[in-house]
Amino acid sequence: MTGDIPVDSRAQRLVRVRRFVRTRRGGVATGLVVALLAGGVGTWATDTWPFDGRDRYCWGAWQEDSGPGILGDEGFEGDDDRSRTSTGSAPTSREPRGQCRLSVSSSDTYQGDKDQQDTTVTVKYGPAPESAGRRVTWLGGYLGDRAMPLPDGLPGVADGNHGLLVLPERCDTRDGRPTAVTLDASEGAEADDVLPAVPMLGGSQDVARLLVAAANKGMEAAGCADGEPLRVSGPLPTLPEREESFPSGAICRIPGLDIESDLGKEMAMRLNYQVGAVNDDLQSCSARIGRSLRLGERADQPLFDAVMVREPRISALLDGATGTKAPGKGWRGTGTFASDYGIVRAGCAGRPTSFLLLGASTGTTSDYFATFTNAVARRLGCAPVAPAADAEGGRR
Amino acid sequence: MSDDKSTIGEGNSMSGEGTSMSDEDKGTVTPTEPEGAASPGRADKPADKAADKPLGVLAAAIAAAPPPWWHWRRLGRLARARWTPVVGAAVAGVLLGGAGVAWQAEAGPFHEERACWGALGEDDVADLFHGKRDIESSEVGVSRDSIASDGPSGLCELKSPRGMRVRAQLHRLDDRFGGDRDKWADEYLSARMVPLGGGLLGMVSDTRAWLAIPEGCVGRPGERDGPLVIDMDAGWTTYDDDVDTDERARLARTVVKLVNGYMADQGCDSPIGDPTDRLAEPARFIDEKRDAICGIKGLALPGKGVGGRYDRPLVTKNTKDTPVRTCDRDVLFGHPSLRLMTVEDPRLAVLYKGLSFDGGSEVTAVGDTKKESRGRGFLREDTGLYQASCQTGEVTFLIRADDDGHAAEIRRLLPRYVALEAERVGCGPLRLRMPS
Repeated sequence: MTGDIPVDSRAQRLVRVRRFVRTRRGGVATGLVVALLAGGVGTWATDTWPFDGRDRYCWGAWQEDSGPGILGDEGFEGDDDRSRTSTGSAPTSREPRGQCRLSVSSSDTYQGDKDQQDTTVTVKYGPAPESAGRRVTWLGGYLGDRAMPLPDGLPGVADGNHGLLVLPERCDTRDGRPTAVTLDASEGAEADDVLPAVPMLGGSQDVARLLVAAANKGMEAAGCADGEPLRVSGPLPTLPEREESFPSGAICRIPGLDIESDLGKEMAMRLNYQVGAVNDDLQSCSARIGRSLRLGERADQPLFDAVMVREPRISALLDGATGTKAPGKGWRGTGTFASDYGIVRAGCAGRPTSFLLLGASTGTTSDYFATFTNAVARRLGCAPVAPAADAEGGRR
Repeated sequence: MSDDKSTIGEGNSMSGEGTSMSDEDKGTVTPTEPEGAASPGRADKPADKAADKPLGVLAAAIAAAPPPWWHWRRLGRLARARWTPVVGAAVAGVLLGGAGVAWQAEAGPFHEERACWGALGEDDVADLFHGKRDIESSEVGVSRDSIASDGPSGLCELKSPRGMRVRAQLHRLDDRFGGDRDKWADEYLSARMVPLGGGLLGMVSDTRAWLAIPEGCVGRPGERDGPLVIDMDAGWTTYDDDVDTDERARLARTVVKLVNGYMADQGCDSPIGDPTDRLAEPARFIDEKRDAICGIKGLALPGKGVGGRYDRPLVTKNTKDTPVRTCDRDVLFGHPSLRLMTVEDPRLAVLYKGLSFDGGSEVTAVGDTKKESRGRGFLREDTGLYQASCQTGEVTFLIRADDDGHAAEIRRLLPRYVALEAERVGCGPLRLRMPS
């Protein structure tokens, strides 16, 4: 009868368990176990996890693996020495300026060659730069080239590695200047790079999402959030066309904007342009001389960027930057032509419309800018802004 | 074991009585035990029928009979067995786990019937069919032809037993024969449609809806490809200018859900929001003035003008981001007898790129040089077309009749129409040189 003893002891154990469950402490403990189990099943089933150990960056605005490429696994280009850190301070209601720098690095060794990734993403929260010149080049840098407007009326633009978003009026500074959030990414150069490295954030859609997430957190920290966070609704529009590297005749489809004939044969071959957004609020044309690897050039040489902007909130960033006088003889509106930029603002079809020029505003470039300005004004259905070369308004 | 039995017998005489009532009626149970066994329990109840002897015997027999295996008494006894907690816990665990898996996998009771390539849930379909839930759906899944390179395509049909039928189709618009073989342009670019707005390439009426899959998700189509669209066909209506805006809102919501579903399948997680709030008022017939054919000031014809007395034109509502401006007259089964159309959106104007190389007498523009021209066009008995390169991209100007009876009108209208419309869309000045 040796077998009876373990059976008995098992039974006793069961009895003891049952008795324990029936005590108050036992009841609490059992309830806890059941609750934990149910919670576990729930989190698993809904695919959420309260204690996931995911890192947060930049004022807590960005969370690891929350969507944008740079915050996920694909943000690392190499397999070794992966690290992702951020430094910076959030805006406060007293000091509504903030900035943050996200650093992502990794390395990869392939056949003895070491590839180092050093991606830096800088986010800034605050008003536009004070001085007119810096403001024009700052804004033009975001609006020109390959930038596209954010979807569904968000006042901002983004491309693959930088973007700008103007916050709602409730976040304006006390003297009425709008607050903007900007994002810029750069990639550390390596000595043996043939071409400058391009930071990979995951595409312009991801840049827009990073921008909006930083804006929401920034507004919260600065005390001007209103409970309804901004969001990117729907995909970003895409550029109407690719970079054109064999232009013939007028560039950017702007009638009369014929640069080729002013360039030498060698340079004309290397001319290329990019048409950016062309809509009611924004239009840009970027002309460059393509890099020549034969001559050891590592970057395109910009000729000029011409931008028209009349989106009310983005346009408000330029308030006070145009002065009170016409920029030149025969020009309508107010503005300035400086050595490295030009700006003119005039009423156009019922809205103040700004035309920006990045690049020297002298000589032929100034003529190109006049052609661009009048062609765009004509497209929008308003009187010429630049001194017209002929009765048609264009310079055909 | 005998211990257990007695406890049950004693403690449950009350409910034993309850069951006896129904068993009495059947009269199938016969007493197998002496009546004394159960009588002490019953004797102290004054209102009992125990006085009635046969019934008392019956009740006693029932109380004493071994209950069937499923009876709660036996189950209660089971619960007192030693191994029961273990089995119980195991069963509960299996049930919980199974339910969890079913929930996660959306199987069994958690399974939701989804229609149209998984993009529409039951509620979405009910929304489209006025709350009715007995809708049948059938579909041809989304597939891709790797030989003809026509892009992805798929079909879906939702059918109500009351006769209403809605068809949805995913396809790449055909740019080879003009307006996706004209029929698509006739129906889906008609003046009854209004744009979905918000930068989307799509339009909707109460019988048709179409929306291009945003390029930000699927990438730009090739240089000579039309956009990839999902369109919906909800049948016919007696054609006039009366558009049912509720019906239109249902179609608009549904086509957005279909596109969001397709985008989610492609791994794009930025769904498009509900467009219904921003839809414009539908277009109405306009009273055409002699010098403003189709409401375009300055467009006139000498003589009696275009068309007869009764065919007033319907012109696309002038809204901010309409991809086309269409002027239809005398529409029969969605097919206008004469259409003047400006396709402003370059993504859609590509539908006429192939046609613009087509035959006919060539139309050129004033100022064209050998090196550079404003665009391309031609004139035929039933068609006048000019495809211009504008700052916004390609823009198509088209006049098309359903027979050759309008040849003289088309010839007269085309240069004036193109000049005025080019000015409106910001592509002026554009003066055409007509072939002699």
